[in-house]
Amino acid sequence: MQTFRAGFALPLEELRDEVDRLWTSLTAAPPLHGWSTEQPTGRFPAVTMRDCDDAVVIEAELPGLDVGDIDIAATADELTLKGTRPAAVAQTGNGEAATQEPANVTWLRRERGTGAFERRLSLPVAVDASRVEARLVDGVLTVTCPKAPESQPRRVAVRAAS
Amino acid sequence: MRSSMSPTVPQTPGQQAAGEPSLTYQPHVDICDTGGGLSIRADIPGANTDSIDVAFEDGVLAVHAKVPAREQPGRVLRQEYGIGDYRRSFRLGDGFDGAQITAEYRQGVLSIEVPRLAAVRPRKVAVRATHG
Repeated sequence: MQTFRAGFALPLEELRDEVDRLWTSLTAAPPLHGWSTEQPTGRFPAVTMRDCDDAVVIEAELPGLDVGDIDIAATADELTLKGTRPAAVAQTGNGEAATQEPANVTWLRRERGTGAFERRLSLPVAVDASRVEARLVDGVLTVTCPKAPESQPRRVAVRAAS
Repeated sequence: MRSSMSPTVPQTPGQQAAGEPSLTYQPHVDICDTGGGLSIRADIPGANTDSIDVAFEDGVLAVHAKVPAREQPGRVLRQEYGIGDYRRSFRLGDGFDGAQITAEYRQGVLSIEVPRLAAVRPRKVAVRATHG
């Protein structure tokens, strides 16, 4: 006979997960919000922007994109992130992405957004657009915009009076 | 889903216990049934291969990825998302071959292939014509 307790442990686990999820959705922005299958909304990708002493650093989560899929343009006071995430395609048995969707595939969940995005960010200080650098590691894009010389904090040397 | 949170409100996950992220996120997924099994893609940017845990037990596939706190120097001007671990589980039911599940992490996307047991895979039966 199956005992009651053995079957009880799992739903409790699931309840905890569900409560975690609910809590997360109430307390923090979910990652990757703003994906849209329609026209670019200008709100994707979500970013963080930080002011470091000599640069403005912008970070965005862009999973599934290759370096070549992202177009980054910088001016002295604006940064534009542009690109497209291709539509999800079913994988063939050997793990390769199928070029065409096989006929016998049934989609059960499709939550990952796809399509084009474009986001313009105004920068708080003038940056040196020619020295902007970007890195993409594990789906996280980090763009470092070195500040223009005139916006960098200037250190004033104090001369000792003789 | 969009956040109603003001973009300029800084969040401070990971400032509680020695840089440990305190938030857990449910990753967005695509799941498709290819007949031979299920193919799952989950967006978990910022994780790394060693800290991703995929487990299949009693018909439940559980994904948990620990995300290390990122170095975040400077003054926060904008913070529109938080950084934390990813956790999500799926009840797949019977008929899947737990021993043959494969998972791969690339460009922030976790891909999991869950094959069906050979006995329950859909089989195409050829109909032979008989004369009689």
